[in-house]
Amino acid sequence: MSSYRTHMQIIGDILLTARDDTPDEQGASITYLIRKANISHGRISKILNNLVAQGLLEQSNSCGACKYKISHVGREFLQAYNTFNKFADGFGLII
Amino acid sequence: MEFFLENILNLVGFVVGLIIGIISYIGFRNTGSPTLFRLTLAFFSIGAGFFIMWLGQTLDIFVYKTGHIERWVQTLGIAIQTVGYFFIAFSHTIKSFFPKSNYLRSIGVVPLFLISFISIENIIRSISFILLAYGAIETILSYFASKRKTAILVACGLWALAFGEFLGWYYFVFPQSILNVVSISMKIAGLIMLFIPVTKVPLTRIKFDENL
Repeated sequence: MSSYRTHMQIIGDILLTARDDTPDEQGASITYLIRKANISHGRISKILNNLVAQGLLEQSNSCGACKYKISHVGREFLQAYNTFNKFADGFGLII
Repeated sequence: MEFFLENILNLVGFVVGLIIGIISYIGFRNTGSPTLFRLTLAFFSIGAGFFIMWLGQTLDIFVYKTGHIERWVQTLGIAIQTVGYFFIAFSHTIKSFFPKSNYLRSIGVVPLFLISFISIENIIRSISFILLAYGAIETILSYFASKRKTAILVACGLWALAFGEFLGWYYFVFPQSILNVVSISMKIAGLIMLFIPVTKVPLTRIKFDENL
């Protein structure tokens, strides 16, 4: 049985997709992120705005469409997220 | 002998609580995770509780020289530890710990003004036991979901702490027995088991928050 993802896990999935799974150099489109991170359009828009505002993602306009790339800060955050996810998992918890 | 062993336990508890608390706090500052914030509160409380008891005993050894820790100091230390155990249990989404009725809530604190420190200590120890047992059960269940071996160590650590609390409570029924030494040894073993998974976290790869 699959369980609901926490907000933190959704952010982790979006950043992971933006880091490891982008289709080209310019980054991933919203549609691509929606499909890969498995999240609705309404929800991902708010999260992406938040991540761009905090400097974890870089936004660029390519052929009239927004593309998202992970930033240097985003990579560091993802590394910290993975480490502390394991730490919390050791206590049987989800961050 | 018991007094000395208890002093070591309190020192180990303080150090383990402080280190896990600091790591949780670093995690919270770097990720903003509420779970890591609750773990920070939990382990800082556990560390603070052990520190108060260690300080009380050390002051008695070097200053007061009565051979036993002040009852109110021991009760305070155990109460603060229980707050920490509560946050561990709360992290496992404990949902209905307190009674919902306002009447029950209002009379719930009345007995605390009517009974002695020994009784309060017994009540706190039994609450600690319930919270620790709950945390241990939830951790074992999470092991079945994730199959992460460190979860077993944490669950065993929480069980050992719970069993130590139980024996410590039972010691009031049979004083002057070996139960207290066994209880303290169980707690030390439990704290060490809680600490082992923390040593496996690769913190050296993390570039820490510069504002920390």
